[in-house]
Amino acid sequence: MISAYLIHLLILIGIYLILAISLQLSVGFTGLLNLGHIAFYAIGAYISALLALAGLPFWFCFLLAGIGAMFFGFLLAISTNKLKGDYLALATLAFTFVIYAITLNWTGLTRGPLGLPGIPKPSLFGFTFSDNFSFLVLVFVIALISYLIITRITKSPFGRVLEAIRDDELATRVLGKNTFKMKSYALGISAFFAGIAGSLYAYYITFIDPSSFTLSQLIPVLAIVIIGGLASLKGTIIATIILVLLPEPLRFVGFPSSIIGPARQMIYALLLLLILIKKPRGLYGRIELE
Amino acid sequence: MFPQLLVNSLIAGAIYALVASGFSLIYSTCKFVHFAHGATIAFSAYFLYFLFSDLGLSFGLSVIFTIIFASLLGWLMDKVVYKKLRQRKASKVILLMTSFALLIFFESLILMLFGADVKTIGYVKIARGFDFLGAIITPLQIVIIAVSLVLLVLLYFFMKRTKIGKAMRAVADNKEVAEVVGISAENIYSWAFIVGSAIAGIAAILVGLEQNLEPMMGTNLMIKGFTGAIIGGIGSVPGAVLGSFLLGFAENFGIWFLPSGYKDAIAFAILFIFLLFRHQGILGIGRNSK
Repeated sequence: MISAYLIHLLILIGIYLILAISLQLSVGFTGLLNLGHIAFYAIGAYISALLALAGLPFWFCFLLAGIGAMFFGFLLAISTNKLKGDYLALATLAFTFVIYAITLNWTGLTRGPLGLPGIPKPSLFGFTFSDNFSFLVLVFVIALISYLIITRITKSPFGRVLEAIRDDELATRVLGKNTFKMKSYALGISAFFAGIAGSLYAYYITFIDPSSFTLSQLIPVLAIVIIGGLASLKGTIIATIILVLLPEPLRFVGFPSSIIGPARQMIYALLLLLILIKKPRGLYGRIELE
Repeated sequence: MFPQLLVNSLIAGAIYALVASGFSLIYSTCKFVHFAHGATIAFSAYFLYFLFSDLGLSFGLSVIFTIIFASLLGWLMDKVVYKKLRQRKASKVILLMTSFALLIFFESLILMLFGADVKTIGYVKIARGFDFLGAIITPLQIVIIAVSLVLLVLLYFFMKRTKIGKAMRAVADNKEVAEVVGISAENIYSWAFIVGSAIAGIAAILVGLEQNLEPMMGTNLMIKGFTGAIIGGIGSVPGAVLGSFLLGFAENFGIWFLPSGYKDAIAFAILFIFLLFRHQGILGIGRNSK
């Protein structure tokens, strides 16, 4: 019982970790205040769920979830190319709403508020990840690979250009870098990982509906990124673990689940407020949001 | 069909205009996106429900207390949260994220205090509508449009004629110069929150009488009011009113072409398009874009 609960928490940590480090890539490293991350997560979850329900194999659904989200990431990057700061934040926020409205209303495809139940358990090379422990191993491996890839990207010459864009876009352009292309790549890659996180979520819960992808879902991920500190992957990992575990004691005090849900959101919102007011750099942040 | 859509557009526009004008007043004075304005509306509507339906206070008293409550809530958010950030000279993006966290915080609080089920204030008995040039309109809806128009006219004279209104415009126009002539910007910020939130309280009352209350109503109204403000020109209160009515028309006439579920998506799509191509809005001047 205890171990099943622990495995559940570890899977959540894994999924949130992928979401948070990919958001870190666009917000922390590139300086694009992207509030559309949950939309990419939703796109990944829906693509993966719909393909899996059509009977396609796991690796195909999983990859296509990432690629589909990446496509939308490019689309968003191209359309918001000229926007900066709070206007970019608002445009990406509007994007989240549009995707949410589509998942809710395109009932022919997504079944709207009824959601998509019965997503099969993933299987790879003839092995089915039917119990939660094997699924945890899968999530862990994918989270680790995602972490390594994003670390690699941030340390590469490409990553340095991204940080240069964050610090001074005009100067970077003067140095002959195509900042538009670089920003699009950053947002696309970030969206790719959000998409695969969505795919893992869909496979894990086996049921998705639009309510899993509302704006309030963005709060924990954003809180992780800010609390961990911008442009710090180490901080992101620590913050993910802390923030996923933090509201859990509420369960043991014996509150009903109708209280726990909102209480969790309140804790995240309060933490985000406190850190923004008291310690805007977060735990290990190297820079402050501008 | 046509007269009915016209009437529906006017009602929607009147409500959006109330939301947008308060929001736009705060934006133009304080120069940041106060998303938690939606939380002020939602919380005030629930407060009215609490006073009138739970405590059994008379309707007149409940209305007065609700407006005071809304003002106080807005003022407190400014004093407790935003003021600290301003002292630290935090960027607009930080303020935007803070207001977003505040919105989620209060929405979760409402969910915790009142539960997820829909509430009805039930002061106005469901009345037979009048037949007005082939469209049905209820007495309450006439009151909504009338109150909204009267308030907007009052707000216009408040901004043009009173000392505080003039000081607000001075701070909105140029904070440094306003301070040189002896206007305390901090004071004016407080006033902007008090007046803007009082309008939010009135909007909350009208919305609460016309529709059911639900915890997420703040986000929805905020997005509509905000879209109206962006369409019209975000820094200008008359622009916000114009934009809100245009949005009301676009939404209601849009369902001639699209299923009615897409009403919200129309608003988000318009918001997105305006942010991309004309983020200063129809009446706005192209500044503070970068």
